[in-house]
Amino acid sequence: MILASAGNILVWIVWVGAGFACLASGVAVVSFRNPFYSALALIGNLGSLAVLYLLLSAEFVAAAQVLVYAGAVMVMFLFVIAYIGPRMETPWAGGPNWQSIAAVLAAGSIFLEIIVAVALKAGGRLSHSDHVNATFGTPGWIGRLFLTDHLLAFEITSIVLLIAAVGGVILGSHTKRAT
Amino acid sequence: MQGPGIAWYLGISAFLFGTGALGVLLRRNPIIVLLSLEIMLNGGNLALIAFARHAGNGAGQIFALAVMAVAASEVCVGLGLVVAINRRRLALDVDKLSELRG
Amino acid sequence: MRDGAWLCLFAPLAGTIVILLGGTRIPRAVAGWISTASVFVAFGGATWAFFALRASNDRAGITYTAWTWLQSGSFKVGLSVLVDPLSTMMMLIVAGIGGLIVLYSIGYMDGDDEERRYFAYMSLFVFSMLLLVQGGNLLILLAGWGLVGLSSYLLIGFWHDRPSAVAAAKKAFIMNAVGDATMALAFFVLIFHSHSLEFGTSFATAAQLSPTAVNLVALGLLGGAAAKSAQIPLHTWLPDAMEGPTPVSALIHAATMVTAGVYLIARTHPIFEQARTVELVAAGMGALTLLVAGLIALVQTDIKRVIAYSTMSQIGYMFLGAGVGAYASGMFHLMTHAFFKALLFMAAGLVIHALSGEQDIRKMRGIGALMPWTKWAFLVGSLALVGVPPFAGFFSKDAIIAAALHDHWYGVILAGAGLVGAFLTGVYTFRLYFLVFPGEPSAFVREHHHAHHGQEGPLTMLVPVGVLAVLAVIGGWIQFSPFWHPLTNWLAPVAQTLGVAEPTNTQEAIASVLAVLLGLAGIGVAYALYGRGEASLAVPRLPAVQRTLEHKLYFDEAYDALFYRPAAAFASWLRRDFEEPVILATGPDLGEGALELGQGASRLQTGLLRTYVLFLGTGLAIVGVVFLVVR
Repeated sequence: MILASAGNILVWIVWVGAGFACLASGVAVVSFRNPFYSALALIGNLGSLAVLYLLLSAEFVAAAQVLVYAGAVMVMFLFVIAYIGPRMETPWAGGPNWQSIAAVLAAGSIFLEIIVAVALKAGGRLSHSDHVNATFGTPGWIGRLFLTDHLLAFEITSIVLLIAAVGGVILGSHTKRAT
Repeated sequence: MQGPGIAWYLGISAFLFGTGALGVLLRRNPIIVLLSLEIMLNGGNLALIAFARHAGNGAGQIFALAVMAVAASEVCVGLGLVVAINRRRLALDVDKLSELRG
Repeated sequence: MRDGAWLCLFAPLAGTIVILLGGTRIPRAVAGWISTASVFVAFGGATWAFFALRASNDRAGITYTAWTWLQSGSFKVGLSVLVDPLSTMMMLIVAGIGGLIVLYSIGYMDGDDEERRYFAYMSLFVFSMLLLVQGGNLLILLAGWGLVGLSSYLLIGFWHDRPSAVAAAKKAFIMNAVGDATMALAFFVLIFHSHSLEFGTSFATAAQLSPTAVNLVALGLLGGAAAKSAQIPLHTWLPDAMEGPTPVSALIHAATMVTAGVYLIARTHPIFEQARTVELVAAGMGALTLLVAGLIALVQTDIKRVIAYSTMSQIGYMFLGAGVGAYASGMFHLMTHAFFKALLFMAAGLVIHALSGEQDIRKMRGIGALMPWTKWAFLVGSLALVGVPPFAGFFSKDAIIAAALHDHWYGVILAGAGLVGAFLTGVYTFRLYFLVFPGEPSAFVREHHHAHHGQEGPLTMLVPVGVLAVLAVIGGWIQFSPFWHPLTNWLAPVAQTLGVAEPTNTQEAIASVLAVLLGLAGIGVAYALYGRGEASLAVPRLPAVQRTLEHKLYFDEAYDALFYRPAAAFASWLRRDFEEPVILATGPDLGEGALELGQGASRLQTGLLRTYVLFLGTGLAIVGVVFLVVR
């Protein structure tokens, strides 16, 4: 699997770095007590994910990830966190005793199951990826797909965004009170 | 394809998904819960992109974009809820928010 | 012939149904007349069948099937009646004597609150007994057998507010059930080999069975016969059965039901002839019973119990006769015994009725002076019982003893037992007579005796007694072997007397003379001991023997220790150590367990959103495992 070429080694190094950052920031998000720090960790997570997407020949998705997710969604998060103020909260306290243990167990088992499922196929169908041409993942290619094969998804997604925007405005607005 | 095989990316995706699930189940602050939910969604996105690359099929990337849009919408509505709860002077604790009043 | 048989069978059943349906709408006396009429109609039917059979060519008998209710391949069984010499003889006896006794009951049970129930049961009994004797296949025979046991139970326990009567009824039923079980097992073995329930086919296969099998079958049949006829060892229920009304004792426990065992042996004699040893065991059992019962009867103080032990003893004679192969003699003695035993019971019933229910013979001294007609009837019955010529018992009993005499050395022993039994019969019978009837009336009698409108009893009671007295005299004249034996000839097609059991003239003479002499000697001894008032000899005092006899040879105590106590101990052990800890505790435990389960489950409802999401996640994990494994 590991070819003796400089390009390949570079890809591996980048992958290890991005992967590690991704995993560490993911753990950080759920561990910090201060929500502000968690949000910052999430930004880091999104960045490393974008690098991974680039490695997977998904340039447009990587760009969209940085622009939309990290740029817009996270900014919104930070605004709200700033608005609400500091709320410290300890992760493990509260709730019935068995809740915490059961949560770890459930999450751990889900993780393990996926690993097992993947590992079973790792030597078989997952070992050889198809060869893709240079246009794979480019914005033009995505755009063409959006407007031809997946037009319905495109339209419905835009409707969902519209509804969400309207909902957000309504939820966030002040209720009119009679003085 | 250069670099690690698809299986490794899927491993990362699995870890992200599990960690996000742990956060959702464990944390009490609704903002942190929403952040953990984002982690889960990103894990799913990574899996989608990986499979798209593996099969040479663009549908995975399209779907990942759609997921991103939906995640954005959901965060929008969720944060609106958080703001509204905060304005009502209720505790920002999912355990205490078991009976909505107002 | 066929119509006569059906009429005979179903008339008493119709009587029962009419009384049941009538309920309290019909007056009590009318119920009695309905029952009596139904049984006399049955007698008419029996007579009709008898004469038709006599006139027909088919002397071996015909089986009529009303309808077939079970048919599978070549296996058929239905409601069939058999009209042959043996069954017509039994039909006449059962219906005739039954009719007389039911007539007697009208007077005896007059005034009882539950008369209608009584007469319904009596008709039911007559129907069951007729079903038994007329049964054309093993199934009907068994059905009749069981119904007879049921009727006996119902009638013994008729006065159900008396605990002793209820206990006696249970005892009778249970002992009969033991016999029924052995008999049913015997039938199963027979049916298994012959695949048919018809008499002829089943008996024919008996010749092909292995010796073990045929011996088992014969033993099973003997067990059933012994239980029904109260022979040792299944005899202890008969004395207790005297708790029932006197007509019941007369009909069931003297004339008909207890003779069913003898009928069974005669009917199934082909099987017994294949298992000759068992047949001889039957004869030995009969001999033993007749001796033991005779001895016990010497010390009884209840008038009905003396007569009950006498019944047991006389049936021993019948078993003896049938066991050695003299079926006709056994059946002949059955018939004469029915006459004089029913007579004795009914005469005793007249005394009991006149003394308002008193049954202790020590108090009844001298009642003959106040009831002369009863005294004469009782005397006739007693003489017939002892076997004094020309009364009925002489002809039948001596034939049995003679038949036994002919049968090897074993038969000589049996005949000897029979002769000793004749002596004992004389003693106990006339002990009873001399203690009760002759002499000056005692104070008790004078106080308690009440006549029925100047007569000794109502007419419905006196007429049957008179009829039976006449029969007790002339009933034996139908056969005086070896000179004149129409009865043996009549029964020959179905119950041929075995060659070994046909005595020579010399043996007949010896047997008769000895039996009569011993009987008269017994009467003499009884007279000396009891008959002369203050001038009597003192009864020899043997305290140990007396005690043993009074305790009926400790059979009841033995059965109590052997069967009842272990069963009762086992039952209470089960209740204490199994039912209470295990079964009764399981109920509350189950309830508490369910409560705890519910409480545990309610703790899962925390009310927190996080918990419900956790359940989602857990479910996802489990589904994932399932897919991984099953895929």
